[in-house]
Amino acid sequence: MKHLRLLGLALCVAAPFAAHAADYTVQPASTLGFTGTFQGATFDGSFKKFDAAISYDPANLAASKFDVTVDVASAATGDADRDQALPGSDFFDASKFPKAHFVTTGFSKDAAGNVVANGNLTLHGITKPVSLKVQFTPRAGGASLVVMTQLKRLDFGVGSGEYKDTGTIADDVKVNGNLLLLPK
Amino acid sequence: MPLRSDATRWGSVARFFHWVMALAILFNGFFALWMDGLKPSLHKINMFALHKSIGLTVLALFLLRLAWRMADRRPPDEPGPRWQIWAAHTVHALLYVLIVAMPLTGWLYNSAHGFPLQYFKLFNLPALTAKNDGLSSLAGTVHEYLFWFLLLVLVAHAGAALKHHLIDRDNVLRRMLPFGRPRPSVAPTHDGDSR
Repeated sequence: MKHLRLLGLALCVAAPFAAHAADYTVQPASTLGFTGTFQGATFDGSFKKFDAAISYDPANLAASKFDVTVDVASAATGDADRDQALPGSDFFDASKFPKAHFVTTGFSKDAAGNVVANGNLTLHGITKPVSLKVQFTPRAGGASLVVMTQLKRLDFGVGSGEYKDTGTIADDVKVNGNLLLLPK
Repeated sequence: MPLRSDATRWGSVARFFHWVMALAILFNGFFALWMDGLKPSLHKINMFALHKSIGLTVLALFLLRLAWRMADRRPPDEPGPRWQIWAAHTVHALLYVLIVAMPLTGWLYNSAHGFPLQYFKLFNLPALTAKNDGLSSLAGTVHEYLFWFLLLVLVAHAGAALKHHLIDRDNVLRRMLPFGRPRPSVAPTHDGDSR
């Protein structure tokens, strides 16, 4: 009886922790980058404006969640012509679809034991399932969260008309997020 | 037609380099003037890539041509006034310099602008320099002005060749024409050279 009561108490204390992973705020030094291929050469870009709501507990993946909103017009690749073209109607069409949105639907582990965040990405008005490789590293006072994936731009209709030509602009685009997290 | 040049005419290898490069250079020059006026588009990007690939081909052909020229013997100058021989050689030297300078300034322009350089969509060539806006616009301007200068030198070169062919009626152009044969009447007499 005494044991049961203790167990009950333990459950009451533990339950809130079991239900919630730790919430983090994303520090301004965080980056959300991408790597495309143009005329056989890769180029790197990044989104200067994005918001990420991160709840993560490596020991409780079921309660973890990523919810990321990206201002697609903030893409910068170091080339004035390209940066002017990307938000235009031939690519992101930012006036019609200003935000890209990724939200997790669940987490799993791959064969090597790495954590994979499964979710839906809405980009250019098209929603498709996307999985991110997750590397979570606790740091003094917070954590670093590195996510990586590879998308096909044409899955999301990024590049219309003649810009669908993958001989000049490759279909595959790598996406990498490097987030510096502080506990809320 | 012998591969090597002889005392009266250029060999087929020298003629091949001369005419293939002449066609490539002329085509690429006027092609560039046309593509420059296109509206910004992927088509325009691909046309620029084609222009760059042709220019690189000219550069590669030039290097092969130079190597061949060093191995080949060249026919002696046709008889003529000393100033004309001097002028012809000066124009040839200028053409050689411009044939190298055109692709190199284009490559520099491309590199300084930060564009990739892909050869006929097959492989990429390295940048000659890091991205540099000032250098990019300078190299672009030089590339363009050198083209107009090249055109001027080509007019002198082709004009002189035509003058020899049509007015002097000698062998200067004939010995370089793809299927040309020396005029028997004015060709220097060589035994067994009646081919």
